[in-house]
Amino acid sequence: MKQFIYVFIVLFVLIGCQEKKSANLTKENDSNESLQPTKYKGTEPTTPEATELYQPVPPKVTLTKNNVPSDAIVLFDGSGLEEWVHVADSSAAQWYVQDDGSLLVKDKSGDIMTKRNFGSIQLHIEWKSPKDIINEGQSRANSGIFIQRRYEIQIMDSNDNPTYTNGQVGAVYKQSIPLAMASVPSGEWNTYDIIYEAPEFENEKLVQPAYVTVLHNGVLIQNHFEIEGPVKYIGWPSYEAHGKAPIQLQDHGDNSRVSYRNIWVREL
Amino acid sequence: MNKLRALGVLCALLLSSCQEPSKEKVSSDIENRDAVIVYEEYEKPEPTTPEGTEYYEPKVPVVGSALNGNVPSDAIVLFDGTSLEGWMHVQDSTAAKWHLNEDGSMTVADKTGNIRTKQEFGDVQLHIEWKSPLPVQRDGQNRGNSGVFLNGIYEVQVLDNNDNDTYVNGQVGAIYKQGPPLAMASAPTGEWNVYDIIYHAPEFNEEGGKIKSGTLTVFHNGVVIQDHTEIKGTTPYIGWPKNPAHGKGPLMLQDHGDDSRVSYRNIWVREL
Repeated sequence: MKQFIYVFIVLFVLIGCQEKKSANLTKENDSNESLQPTKYKGTEPTTPEATELYQPVPPKVTLTKNNVPSDAIVLFDGSGLEEWVHVADSSAAQWYVQDDGSLLVKDKSGDIMTKRNFGSIQLHIEWKSPKDIINEGQSRANSGIFIQRRYEIQIMDSNDNPTYTNGQVGAVYKQSIPLAMASVPSGEWNTYDIIYEAPEFENEKLVQPAYVTVLHNGVLIQNHFEIEGPVKYIGWPSYEAHGKAPIQLQDHGDNSRVSYRNIWVREL
Repeated sequence: MNKLRALGVLCALLLSSCQEPSKEKVSSDIENRDAVIVYEEYEKPEPTTPEGTEYYEPKVPVVGSALNGNVPSDAIVLFDGTSLEGWMHVQDSTAAKWHLNEDGSMTVADKTGNIRTKQEFGDVQLHIEWKSPLPVQRDGQNRGNSGVFLNGIYEVQVLDNNDNDTYVNGQVGAIYKQGPPLAMASAPTGEWNVYDIIYHAPEFNEEGGKIKSGTLTVFHNGVVIQDHTEIKGTTPYIGWPKNPAHGKGPLMLQDHGDDSRVSYRNIWVREL
């Protein structure tokens, strides 16, 4: 009887061994030239039912007022600024809430940021550069959305207003030139629909960079761009480890008069 | 006692031979992690002025907005309600016989077969609007079933899923039988839905083996339901996804052959 137990133990260890080895083998196969997901390596099903999944069930999302998805966190809907504070001193945001449900940058009051911290998100935001234009280049209605307070999607009036292409409207500032310029005329509302995948760090080291996709007025202008680090006005970008962080809106301090409205996020 | 020792040694040997490969794997993982990502363009001496990082070329094309029914100026319009000129039946390449409606939409003509664009595309941004019909008929996969096939072979499901459950990898917005959607974002039955799709084609080596998977990102009525999802192959009704080598292909729309009465409108692509 004891001998049976010994044999059993040896067999058990052997089986444990081989499972690990086969797992390693499939891992190695993944790096081979041809790709075939492990999941599809078994005997091929011969009935339609065999490839039907019933769990988990995707959540139902309905569109509410202003087409806000029912599972979204509303950051600004025109009613107030309780989701926002000033970056400089965490005081209540002083930007102007307008009668039409929009939010106007209060010049030289400083950037504002959300009280909440976010990782990977879908962000919807609408913005408008003022109809009566002043200044030129980077000084014409300049603002910006800093995701996780570090990665800026440029906002500015680029209508008949050339500037450096990696700093024009829709650029990942000084990193990625937009694929297209899709602005509406100055004084009309633009939309950004952004999919942002947060970077991952282990032991303070970058193991996965951030990615961003942007639709500007429904036009793809950033296509799963690999962000190279926090944006910099001067010098090269370079990653620093961080966790979840707020969304920040820029006061460029030169009377930009940029407005925002209908801001919501869905955590991904 | 000797037997026990022998067994102990044997087990220890087996265990250590087991662990060696996994140790190697861990260390190689750590090495990979340590391989710091380097951007070649930033290997040069770091600029000390803002102008040092300002680029003026290439110029960015001005294309205008796609909001409120507008079509970007660089888009290829596949259907704008005026005709089915750009489409043909898959089976025999004859002129598309689907119904052209007065409201600028088209409706599947039941059992006439799938239709495809005459033009072929690789990577695209696709905008397409669709509507499942009132009154509703039947259940599950037989209620307002159609589909948008990228490259002619990778299906994003179109289905009336309102109060009509089915398998999740075959519900509205699924990459059929591969990728359930992240959310169910349908408009009420009888109202128009929008798909904004970003499609990247897979890449193949000279022997026809897939070396890079395609990807799909889908906004359904503005909600992200596929987020850079890996396409694991074709989307068959029965069996595993397949990965035949291919180049560009058409956009195909499905006639499910069960009186789906699904309608489409405002279809355009931008080549990426």
